Amino acid sequence: MNNIWGSMEQYDPVVWNWIIAVYLFMAGLSAGSMLVAIGLKWYKQSRGLPTEGLPVIKAAAVIGPVAICLGMALLVLDLTKPFEFYHILLNYNLTSVMAWGVIALLVYIPLVFVFAALVFEKQVLHYAPWLAGVLKVCGQLEGSLNKLIFALALGVGVYTGFLLSAMISYPILNTAVLPALFLASAMSVGSAGNILVATLFFSKKESDCIEQVHRIEYPVAFNEALCLVLLFVGLNFSGPAAQAATAAITTGTWASVFWIGVVGLGLVVPVLASTLAPKAWRHSKGFLITVSCSTILGVLALRHFVVYAGQSYIS
Amino acid sequence: MTKRYVLVHDENKCIGCQACNVACRSENNVPESVTRLQVRIEGPYGNFPHLHFKYNRVSCEQCENAPCVKVCPTGAAYVNDDGIVSINENKCVGCLYCVAACPYKVRFINPETRVPDKCDFCKESRLARGEQPACVSVCPTQALTFGDANDMTSEVRKVLDTKPSYQQKVNLGTEPRVYRIPSRRGGIKA
Ligand code: SF4
Ligand code: SF4
Repeated sequence: MNNIWGSMEQYDPVVWNWIIAVYLFMAGLSAGSMLVAIGLKWYKQSRGLPTEGLPVIKAAAVIGPVAICLGMALLVLDLTKPFEFYHILLNYNLTSVMAWGVIALLVYIPLVFVFAALVFEKQVLHYAPWLAGVLKVCGQLEGSLNKLIFALALGVGVYTGFLLSAMISYPILNTAVLPALFLASAMSVGSAGNILVATLFFSKKESDCIEQVHRIEYPVAFNEALCLVLLFVGLNFSGPAAQAATAAITTGTWASVFWIGVVGLGLVVPVLASTLAPKAWRHSKGFLITVSCSTILGVLALRHFVVYAGQSYIS
Repeated sequence: MTKRYVLVHDENKCIGCQACNVACRSENNVPESVTRLQVRIEGPYGNFPHLHFKYNRVSCEQCENAPCVKVCPTGAAYVNDDGIVSINENKCVGCLYCVAACPYKVRFINPETRVPDKCDFCKESRLARGEQPACVSVCPTQALTFGDANDMTSEVRKVLDTKPSYQQKVNLGTEPRVYRIPSRRGGIKA
């Protein structure tokens, strides 16, 4: 329609699009897979079990750096001035969540590469023998490095949530539950990603230490579900604009994405599969691949749902 | 902060003629496809035969507590002594965080500079020459009053001290510096 006051196109409330959703997914995947792998390592070490060459840790060493780099590439390409992205590395406005995220990523990214290099030390030295000295030093610091990576990965997982919740006029986004929800779902996509890559590429016998990763899946799925409930129940009590935003899960396309993708693929399928499936299946390759793909799609759907539905309701 | 520029839009006097919108476009060379200022005609409200329209000015509110400035990672969105929320084109990377964070949805990407753009009270042109913003000076019904609220003798002070006014979305705590004088006509939602 032609209004006398002009085009309404620029007033579309959805400013950040699927590229941001995929970036948020990638950052969560990288951080989650690191948290799971390092957590598993500590768990094994505390029981005096060997941690050398565990498929899940190898998988994390691939996912950690690859996912975050792909995510960053998307993020930079999405800027309106991609060639001037370096300004973001020079100027920091510390009231901005994004500035804090950039600082965390600036340390996190090189460290996950170090993590990967230590996991694949033999292969790295084969192609780049000149790295031997550096790797040796890193190897000695491994304990502290892992603690640092763990802390930074927590930071990356949480910051992606705060990034959105800082936008005060969108009721679905502007809640304290969002960072917790993003962290929980980062853990579930991280463990699913680790299982997927481990089963596809690194495991010799079926079920190589996948058991432990499975063990964290229940509490994480529970937390994720709880956060979702808190989010929407909370909206219902936060005034008319927020209440109107609960329509996001009852009407429109994003409601289907929510129920089919987020709840169905992301929560119901994995939980039912690991409770109801016969024991014999549970460690078969096909089963593990199907269930982890389902979780991954669920988390991808969650990021899209939050980005789009979140921006569609404005107070 | 020495200055505190505010703008008052009298919704009784406004007739929705868009003279301000057009004047802004030509003063600030705003590209065709985008706009810094609209006066939306909303309604009708009330019950027949007492129908009326609401004239809703949509432009940067010059928030005292500006979300766009808070979220900008590089400090490209900033406020200086004149209190006017501005954009440093050189520092901006175009992340769109400010565009998304503005509760009034008045920021847009200028297709020519690839940088966010919005109303700045004509600070570099007319204000610098000691003139009123383009929209204010062109308004045929004098629905707009502009000035420094820190100046006790200013016109805006007099208007705000003597007439009832409101600001949009005060609950968000942004403290907008665009004040609106509500239409006197009443009505109840059917
Ligand atoms: S109205 Fe929007 S663009 Fe203007 S100062 Fe407030 S937040 Fe910033
Ligand atoms: S688009 Fe530019 S001005 Fe806006 S937040 Fe990003 S860097 Fe700052």
